[in-house]
Amino acid sequence: MSETQSTLQLILDSGEKIFSDHCDKKLLDQAEAGVFAENLWQQIVANGFNQLGASGSGTTAEEMYAFIMQCGRFAVPLPIAETLLVNSWLEPGEGLYSVGVVSNGQIIDVPWGRKADKVVGIQSGSTVVFVVDQPALVEQRVNLAGEPRDTVVLPDDARTVDVGLDPFAQLALTRSNLMAGALQTLLDLGITFAMERTQFGRTISKFQAIQHALAVVASEVAAARRAADAGVDGLHGERFLPEVAASKARIGEAVTVAAEQIHQIHGAMGFTHEHRLHHFSRRAWAWRDEFGNEFHWQKMLGNHLAALGADNLWSFIATRG
Amino acid sequence: MLQFDRVSLDVDTETLRGDVRGFLAENQAHFPKPNSDFVTGHDAEFSRKLGEKGWIGMNWPKQYGGGERTFFERYVVTEELLAAGAPVSAHWIADRQSGPLLLRFGTEAQRQTYLPQIVRGEAFFSIGMSEPDTGSDLASVRTTAIKEGDEYRINGTKIWTTDAHRNHYIICLVRTEAASENRHAGLSQIIVDLQNDGAQVRPIANMAGGEDFNEVVFEDVMVPADRIVGEPGNGWAQVTSELAYERSGPERFLSAFRVFVELVRVCGEHPAPHEAAAIGRIASHIMTMRRMSISVAGMLENSKDVVVEAALVKELGNNFEKVLPEIARLAAPIGASRGAFRETFEETLLLSPSFTLRGGTREILRGVIARGLGLR
Repeated sequence: MSETQSTLQLILDSGEKIFSDHCDKKLLDQAEAGVFAENLWQQIVANGFNQLGASGSGTTAEEMYAFIMQCGRFAVPLPIAETLLVNSWLEPGEGLYSVGVVSNGQIIDVPWGRKADKVVGIQSGSTVVFVVDQPALVEQRVNLAGEPRDTVVLPDDARTVDVGLDPFAQLALTRSNLMAGALQTLLDLGITFAMERTQFGRTISKFQAIQHALAVVASEVAAARRAADAGVDGLHGERFLPEVAASKARIGEAVTVAAEQIHQIHGAMGFTHEHRLHHFSRRAWAWRDEFGNEFHWQKMLGNHLAALGADNLWSFIATRG
Repeated sequence: MLQFDRVSLDVDTETLRGDVRGFLAENQAHFPKPNSDFVTGHDAEFSRKLGEKGWIGMNWPKQYGGGERTFFERYVVTEELLAAGAPVSAHWIADRQSGPLLLRFGTEAQRQTYLPQIVRGEAFFSIGMSEPDTGSDLASVRTTAIKEGDEYRINGTKIWTTDAHRNHYIICLVRTEAASENRHAGLSQIIVDLQNDGAQVRPIANMAGGEDFNEVVFEDVMVPADRIVGEPGNGWAQVTSELAYERSGPERFLSAFRVFVELVRVCGEHPAPHEAAAIGRIASHIMTMRRMSISVAGMLENSKDVVVEAALVKELGNNFEKVLPEIARLAAPIGASRGAFRETFEETLLLSPSFTLRGGTREILRGVIARGLGLR
């Protein structure tokens, strides 16, 4: 137990150091202009953080998701979550890997598909995935946060692999963790700004309206963090899908509340491109919709519970801590 | 930063959970209309039966009749009772709050007198904090208890006192010394016997048609000096610790749970997409809050300070208890305009204004959280 915790702490401490040193506002601006963060990527590979949780890595899926949450906290502009999942599904490698959704002979919404050495195409509801080496780019696109979400060709002869656990839900769980991380930064930025910004002769943190807004955000952030952890805890049980559903749906709602409140606290400054707030709020907004939005997962969970029936509802809720 | 650790209820608690469910099934006659609100449903006989099972004062020392069981075991019992909608109001305050208060601060004689009665489900307690001119600003209480020989003379009025007309005792926050510059000084807690000391109890009807709460008037009520809880003058420290205890339990997010159950029932096995989404949305919140609440139970088990975390669970939980009936109302099919869904929904909606008031208003809780964030 203590050994596991120290491994996790080691990963998070190193990650914190790397991201504090290299993942700054300038890098985020460049990434959103389409420049791949090569140096940062090399740092991650050098530390083995591209293979956390993969077989033979000596690390666990829990550590992988904790690292993904940390990437969310720093808005790391790389397809880390996708590379990590591909390395956990296939023979781990050193390359840059990504994942997208199969649609009409293409794989769409592929993070950094333009740079990927390998792209895996997934389909909602199937554990079988398509593996494409050296994929051909169809189109470069970006999401709401300026993160590359490209389209690549799905060749007829792409090989297939059964990854066991619903890949769409695994991707959704990465978004849960990324959002939980970004939410923490939104709260931190809000608190820092409120304690620095002076109006009416005092810092705005002294105003009850601001204190209450931050209390609401802190509550949502704490709930998001707990929901993300619960989704990860569901990895090894029979309840993986409903647990992911609860986490993605709950955290999406937290993003809606927190982003709105934190922008309000920042005033016009937070609305500028120069301020770093938008790197986190836009990502959190975008991630709400990737791999199933709140409604998608609420429906999934609701149908699951309806099938169990009203008198088994409590049993389901109380079955796990 | 605020941290809600991954704490799971022990596997050992599953047997206990099964026992509680068995007990509830056998005692359905006590709650023909299930209601998950902990204030609704005062049933002395039901509470005595729980006492017989050892499910009151579960984690108190055996020397006072307690079970020396864990916070987690107590958690399982309380959440099962609430989810089933059982009548728990009679013993709830004594079990959650008054007993732990006496254990932490009471004299040895007080523990020996009251705790065994509470554990048996024979002594029910009310909370004497609010007054007509004192709500959230608790330090402004004006009820006085003046020492005269080996007695205290009590004068003043307590209000919004749940079940004072049915319970045996009330623990009142009173001024034992005149107010001074330090407004938290000179306050004490004192136990009054509601049935024998001469306090007058006047019922106050609430908007839901219930008569659960009261005004309790003290006119020269004399009580023995040994009814002061712990040290005279320590009232403020005691009362704030007591409030922290009451804030994080499952009663802070399950009050509207039966509405959820009836929603699922009325939507049936194959809900429409918007109905399914409403069900999933409610579940995603309850699952998350329950885990946060269990994290706090784990902190209590490890004797950690939970003031801010408990306030946060209550803030999230109480707000959602009010949102739940609204989500259910909008999702429920046309056919739900009569029957169990409608009945449960209406009863809960009418109770819902109290959810974000009792045990510390939303405004007070947000202040506690803001202090925890270093903003004040």
